Amino acid sequence: MARTALWAGIVCPQQPLQALLRLLPGASFEAEPLAIYELQRGRRLVVETNRAARMLGVRIGQRLADALAVAPALHTLTRDHAAERQLLEEIALSAYRYSHQVAISGNGVVLEVGGSCRLHGRLETLLEALDAELNSLGLKLWRGTAPVAAAASLMARAQLQVLTLTELEACLRNWPLKRLMLPTDEYSRLERLGLKRLSELLALPRFEFERRLGRGLLLHIDRLLGRAPTPLKYWQPPEIFRQKIELPVPTHRSDALLFALNRVLMQLQRWLQLRDRALTGLKVELHPEDPGRGSELHAGLSQPGFQRDKLLEILRLKLEPLKLDANIGSLVVQADSTNSFRPPQAELWGESPTGDSWEALLDRLQARVGTENLCSIAPCPDHRPERSWRWSEPGTSTVSAAFPERPGWLLPKPRPCKINELRLIDGPERIESGWWDGHDCRRDYWIAHDRHGNRLWIFREYKPRTGWFVHGLFG
Amino acid sequence: MPASISSSDSLQQLLTERTDLWRGRQRCAAAAIPTGRAALDACLPDGGWPRGRLVELLPERPGSGELELLLPMLAEQTRQGRPVLFIAPPLVPCPQRLSNAGLDLTRLVVVRERKHALWCAEQALKSGLCGALVAWPEGRALNERALRRLQLSGEHGSAALFVCYPPGCAPPPSLASLRLGILPGGEIRVLRSRQGAAGSAIRLGASNVVTLEAYRRTTTV
Repeated sequence: MARTALWAGIVCPQQPLQALLRLLPGASFEAEPLAIYELQRGRRLVVETNRAARMLGVRIGQRLADALAVAPALHTLTRDHAAERQLLEEIALSAYRYSHQVAISGNGVVLEVGGSCRLHGRLETLLEALDAELNSLGLKLWRGTAPVAAAASLMARAQLQVLTLTELEACLRNWPLKRLMLPTDEYSRLERLGLKRLSELLALPRFEFERRLGRGLLLHIDRLLGRAPTPLKYWQPPEIFRQKIELPVPTHRSDALLFALNRVLMQLQRWLQLRDRALTGLKVELHPEDPGRGSELHAGLSQPGFQRDKLLEILRLKLEPLKLDANIGSLVVQADSTNSFRPPQAELWGESPTGDSWEALLDRLQARVGTENLCSIAPCPDHRPERSWRWSEPGTSTVSAAFPERPGWLLPKPRPCKINELRLIDGPERIESGWWDGHDCRRDYWIAHDRHGNRLWIFREYKPRTGWFVHGLFG
Repeated sequence: MPASISSSDSLQQLLTERTDLWRGRQRCAAAAIPTGRAALDACLPDGGWPRGRLVELLPERPGSGELELLLPMLAEQTRQGRPVLFIAPPLVPCPQRLSNAGLDLTRLVVVRERKHALWCAEQALKSGLCGALVAWPEGRALNERALRRLQLSGEHGSAALFVCYPPGCAPPPSLASLRLGILPGGEIRVLRSRQGAAGSAIRLGASNVVTLEAYRRTTTV
């Protein structure tokens, strides 16, 4: 059986509104009237409203000044085309799991699902899985199917499932031309001609149609009905993950920033899955609304991987002590990732591996105290006690040889002491080393008691200058 | 009657299972971690370091023996693959000494910041992954509330939990199940205990002593 192409279209109703609201926490503006406006030919026009604003009489296409006169309590936000494009890319990223032919066309996303049917068994299961994935985005989305890509967005807008070309033509014939999403001037030209439905248009002879109405419109209709192929520019997830978000409402509150960051992390999670990568570090730049110096957050992971809630907690810990004095207008999130990632395999018998929580704990501690303050201690191959240890990364200390007995505590630097207050117990141990690196020393180490009964590790220096020093404590 | 017997049995079982019950001078069978020294095990009320409960150490002078006291147990924990955390130690713990005592340095994590010492301790305890945790917080950070939080997070896991007071710091009233004073020369004094065995003392001096003499003997052989 020949594979039949089937395209799923996804559109976002009230796209300008949803693109902005998805970056705002909780129920912001749910009960309050809100209008999105755009500057068109020098006039500020309302392009989208929410329910509360419609109740007050704000209409799409109204001038902003008129809208404010009707509803003085109206909240307004500027339309953000970049945010709308990001919204479509977010949808495309989710859709990419179900097809390699994903395209952003106009104001919707289309994907070819006919080829993935066999993988999922039946078309219904595939579409259910796709719907579940789209639901997890937390957006209001409409989905439809059509046998041609050009009609998929139209079917999505009507929420119709059309599977064959004949069905599609039968469906479209009766549609008023207004619903075909034609360019505005084309539509008004057709209206002046008295054409209202697609069937009336199709009844015209092809040659006459092309001569009077232009080749462009004919091609458009042909593509809609599957009589001409639709060229598409396929979308692919980006090679590197870097996203800039303009916050609709600038804020300095960390919970609002975290909400927007969470949104990005959700996308990052999908991106990592699709690209088969593991996260090693995350950089977040915070740019203030007014020109000025921004701040940067770095979150490094001790083990490549991705857990959104843990990462979010790390970002929260980093964000809290930041003391933002200016409102943040935009965020840039950039991910460092490994090239290839093999997820941990589950055990065949017994429990699932509990693996990385120790690393997660270290990440959390590191986020609070800093990389240099979370360490382990390792011996160094040097006879001079002050050079025989170093701070190392946790879990990397290696021990190669047995060591002479040393006190439990070392002073970071030897401290001068008075020998007449101490009683020498045992010694000496001669340490003479370092002529090659300019820190030459010749010392006799002794164990001594002070008058409180503490056991000290002291030495007498001979080489640079003479004197007694405490270097460690037995205890 | 069989019914009454079974109910009293279950009551008895409950009483023995709950380690946070304090029944007069009677010892409850709390899980304990061996200290690594038989003499000390016999002296401590639980027969070892109590698991998941706070032990306060009051060294009289800095470095008078708290590390040596804990080392055998810490080494055993790392041998069993459990990490050991040092939080804000006042001096540098000597890796050669730790390694000689049998402590696996790959399992040792040192937090070098004092400001967040208690927070780090709490996080580590709540994860339930640590074998043992020793914290040297600032004296002024150690109030009753902080210690109670530490005690509560300790109950999440089975780690041995120690807090070392800076010398001269008066310990606040707390829920610690054990409070030990450490005197120079390796004398350990039980200052406070839930089981009421306070007042007993033990000298560990002999086993604590590491002499250069001994080292020289081992290297010549």
